[in-house]
Amino acid sequence: MMVETRHLCKKYGSKTAVDDLNLTIAEGELFSLLGVNGAGKTTTIRMLSCLSTPTSGEAFVSGCNCASQAKEVKRIVGISPQDTAVADHLTVLENLTFMADLYGFSKEKTEQKVAQMIADFRMEEVANQRAKSLSGGWKRRLSIAMALISEPKLLFLDEPTLGLDVLARRELWRVIEGLKGMMTIVLTTHYMEEAEHLSDRIAVMISGRIAACGTLAEIKTAAGAKDLESAFVTIAEKEGAI
Amino acid sequence: MNRIITFSRRNQKEILRDPLSYIFCLAFPLVMLGVMTVLNASIPKEAGMTVFRIENLSAGVAVFGQTFVMLFTALTVSKDRAGSFLVRLYATPMESIDFVIGYMLPMLIISLVQTALIYVVSLIISWIVGTALNPLGLLLSLLTLIPSALMFIGFGMLFGTLFSEKSAPGLCSIIISLGSFLGCIWFDADATGGAMLSICKALPFYYCTRSARSAVALHFTTDGWTIPFLIVSACAVVLIIVSSRVFSARMKADLA
Repeated sequence: MMVETRHLCKKYGSKTAVDDLNLTIAEGELFSLLGVNGAGKTTTIRMLSCLSTPTSGEAFVSGCNCASQAKEVKRIVGISPQDTAVADHLTVLENLTFMADLYGFSKEKTEQKVAQMIADFRMEEVANQRAKSLSGGWKRRLSIAMALISEPKLLFLDEPTLGLDVLARRELWRVIEGLKGMMTIVLTTHYMEEAEHLSDRIAVMISGRIAACGTLAEIKTAAGAKDLESAFVTIAEKEGAI
Repeated sequence: MNRIITFSRRNQKEILRDPLSYIFCLAFPLVMLGVMTVLNASIPKEAGMTVFRIENLSAGVAVFGQTFVMLFTALTVSKDRAGSFLVRLYATPMESIDFVIGYMLPMLIISLVQTALIYVVSLIISWIVGTALNPLGLLLSLLTLIPSALMFIGFGMLFGTLFSEKSAPGLCSIIISLGSFLGCIWFDADATGGAMLSICKALPFYYCTRSARSAVALHFTTDGWTIPFLIVSACAVVLIIVSSRVFSARMKADLA
């Protein structure tokens, strides 16, 4: 298993953001956490990437405990946060080189990885452009490439297409689809069609809890719905969220 | 060490590629140097006002310039904290010490280059006005100003960590005003005396200017250089420690 959580909880004062989360994600899987804003998706991936400490319960990444073996976990995860986390005044090339250098890659390996990212993400035309001047879609692509340059075994994509126009979103889907099978990907989204299009398995999160989890077909069958949106509404109604 | 250098390089590029940093950190102090030199030429000798003479003005403007390095330190840290950039870096093997030194090191280099340029222009002005400054004095003053630079960087780091992108510059402008006024850059508190001098002496800014001016004049007396230098150094140590601890605590809180 690449990811395993046992009774994972996160509370902020009296508010429970994640409640008794039990989850397993297999190696190489593209797993989507689907839910409305405030469902606990980002909090979950923050705990799994050692950016937040669980209030109770345990989380493991590739067998390493996220709380007590954070250093080991950080070596194998990559994260592309919700906002495009890039250095504005650095060029695309410099942003990628910066991330590779942080992981202590040799000069040759850095050059090779940067060239590979530029090619894989088709960023040749913007390679020498400063991040500040990039469009939203290019920035997201750069953000994902920055997360990938450290060769993570587990990649977290937090709302990767949020705020993008339809064309930029489709282009990013193509990029994400290209990554499938190469590593484990945990993607958070509130776009039904995105989860439907990309995921191997989907977990529907409602008020910090997993209300349903399975393949697209399994979720639709369990909810007795013909598409994911109807299934999501049915599950949300059942959970008392509507 | 590799991570510190990598992060320092990124911070240095971020600042050097922002045109505003040249306006505030270099152009503005140099304009003040020129304007005050012209003003000095209009002051009659009988007035006995020496604060705008190039031998005093150069060190004052150098300290004035350092206050803007504080502003850009605060802006860089608060901007990084406001967005997700630090979140991304928190998920890498970077530790709090890498962040702290990575922010401070490029600022110190920028501050030293800034002071060096101010002193080169001062030297040229001194040749024009016929008061030849001693290059050795300027070099020693540049070194004397290292603790002062670290103190202002510490202030910037502290404000950038504690306050938002919008509030931090406002607080820095208070320190810039206090530093330039109570640091006796634009007036001579020693000549004024009284309560004003006592207030100036109660704050570190006065000692920054005093030690730097003494070094320019190669006047290394206990009262003129040693004590002010030690006071500024002590303040720098305190601010560096406090700002580092506050940053680490904030980082810990962010990861809670």
